[in-house]
Amino acid sequence: MKRYLLIYRECIKVAFATASTYRLNFFLNSVIMLLGDILFPLVTILIYGSGAGFEGWTIYEVLLIQSVFTMSMAIADMSFHGIMWATMFAVREGNFEMVLLMPVDTMFLLMAKTFSIDGIGLLFGGIAIFIISLINLTAPTLIMWLQFVAMFVVGMMVMLGISLIMAATSFKWVGNSRIPEIFDSLRSFGKYPQSIFPKTVLIVSSYVLPVAMIGFFPAAALLGRGGYVMFYAILPCVLFMTLGILLYRSMVRLYQGVGG
Amino acid sequence: METIIKVDHLIKRYDTYKRGSSFKESVKTFFHREKIPVMAVNDISFVVGEGDIVGILGPNGAGKSTTIKMLTGTLYPTSGNIDVMGYNPTKNRKTYVQQIGAVFGQKSQLIWDIPPIDSFRMNKAIYDVSDQDYNERIEIMSKLFEVEDYMTRPTRVLSLGERMKCEFIMAMLHHPKVVFLDEPTIGLDVIAKQRIREFIREMNSRGTTFILTTHDLEDVEQLARNIVIINHGEKVFDDSIDNLKKVLGAKKIVQLVLGKPLTELYIPGTEIITRESELNITVSVDQDQISITDFMTELSKVCTFTDISIKEMPMETIITHIYQYKKEE
Repeated sequence: MKRYLLIYRECIKVAFATASTYRLNFFLNSVIMLLGDILFPLVTILIYGSGAGFEGWTIYEVLLIQSVFTMSMAIADMSFHGIMWATMFAVREGNFEMVLLMPVDTMFLLMAKTFSIDGIGLLFGGIAIFIISLINLTAPTLIMWLQFVAMFVVGMMVMLGISLIMAATSFKWVGNSRIPEIFDSLRSFGKYPQSIFPKTVLIVSSYVLPVAMIGFFPAAALLGRGGYVMFYAILPCVLFMTLGILLYRSMVRLYQGVGG
Repeated sequence: METIIKVDHLIKRYDTYKRGSSFKESVKTFFHREKIPVMAVNDISFVVGEGDIVGILGPNGAGKSTTIKMLTGTLYPTSGNIDVMGYNPTKNRKTYVQQIGAVFGQKSQLIWDIPPIDSFRMNKAIYDVSDQDYNERIEIMSKLFEVEDYMTRPTRVLSLGERMKCEFIMAMLHHPKVVFLDEPTIGLDVIAKQRIREFIREMNSRGTTFILTTHDLEDVEQLARNIVIINHGEKVFDDSIDNLKKVLGAKKIVQLVLGKPLTELYIPGTEIITRESELNITVSVDQDQISITDFMTELSKVCTFTDISIKEMPMETIITHIYQYKKEE
């Protein structure tokens, strides 16, 4: 465990060293990511500003859901989302053996090596909207906070599962760069109040591809509006991450390299 | 010499798809792709002794890299057995790769944007090398390679030779017992090649076993004691370098640019093998019959030449010689 923590620490150092080498690129990336993902809360403000809205949800409740989603995205981008692109690239270019040569867990190493601080702007943006929303809502109790943290962690498991499943597909379908876009679209369901969706979509987003856990359920826990459905969704989320891990591990065996 | 690597009936077969180059064929590929099985490695067996340097030779596409990747445990064989220091590379991967090192000439372990010293620190953490061992090894290897000045510069500004030296340090930091080298001198100039060969010899004298794939005969002549030659995925030779020389008859290839056209060359032990043009000829020189020095002396008596270059025998010619030798046997 200590060894893995040391490796992660070295990888974070490298990420900072790389970011400082290309300072302008780091700055632009952070700003672009922030602007790109902050547009959704702005759209929400515009919708509510025009007198419309999501039925049964106040503007600050919706902003809270979207800020939680943004924070999840930022943390995933910084800590493990890179495994998807790194795997795709390494398989396509035939460099995956350089990872397999290392005496540590392949998944962990790729996640650690792709640690990126570009998402820091997005994280701060998400935290800012989260604080503004909370200030305008009833203060959550300690139980609500604990439920929020637990749901947030489970939401990260879903994100990890998605990243690993997408990465795993690249061992079989080399150069599948558009598959992440499909997952990105599906993931978007997690940043809206689930009650606005038809029942079928609700079941899919809660239990089949549990994207509701990325933004909605943790925020709902904090608002005291999660209900029992939120707890039922934990199991499919854990299973989803387990599926991602198992699929990735089994697909690594399919790696064939490229011509020498 | 105790056996450290044992490869037994190793086979690697994979499928690829046939794709046409014309527009019609490209469109057709969207609906139907013809699968082609490729036998990259076909029933190869060999052993390597502890402390040896073994060269795996062969032309491009022979299966050398595939073999070495299977030995490092990064590719799964279709069938056959590999035993390296008692490990099966495809099982207990993490424990196994802790014991080995690898340098792939066309792939890098170094992190592009930061100095090699930072990449070394990363490997120190990955291989769990103690501070004392790390400092000692960095000191020894950086002196051997004379890289102290540039290992603190970003990798992207280093020359290929400088980067390759750092790749070697990176691969040897954890003091592996066996090191696999895949085309370690590819693209390097003569001086850089020589420095890397000296390093390999030095590390070998300290007990490290090296397996190297190459199609550079000089690498093999200067380093390896034993040779495995692979062609079309099959082993065609597995013996000592001295026995390979017996098969080849110690021939050198000499390319000449003549001052005047020459119809025949009457020097014992020599033969014109190709005539690229009237003034450009390639000659084979059998060193068992005539030394290169004597050949030059005789050559200057029979013709005038404006340029001369001595080359190693092409891999294809070596393989032809081996096949001929086997038939004659």
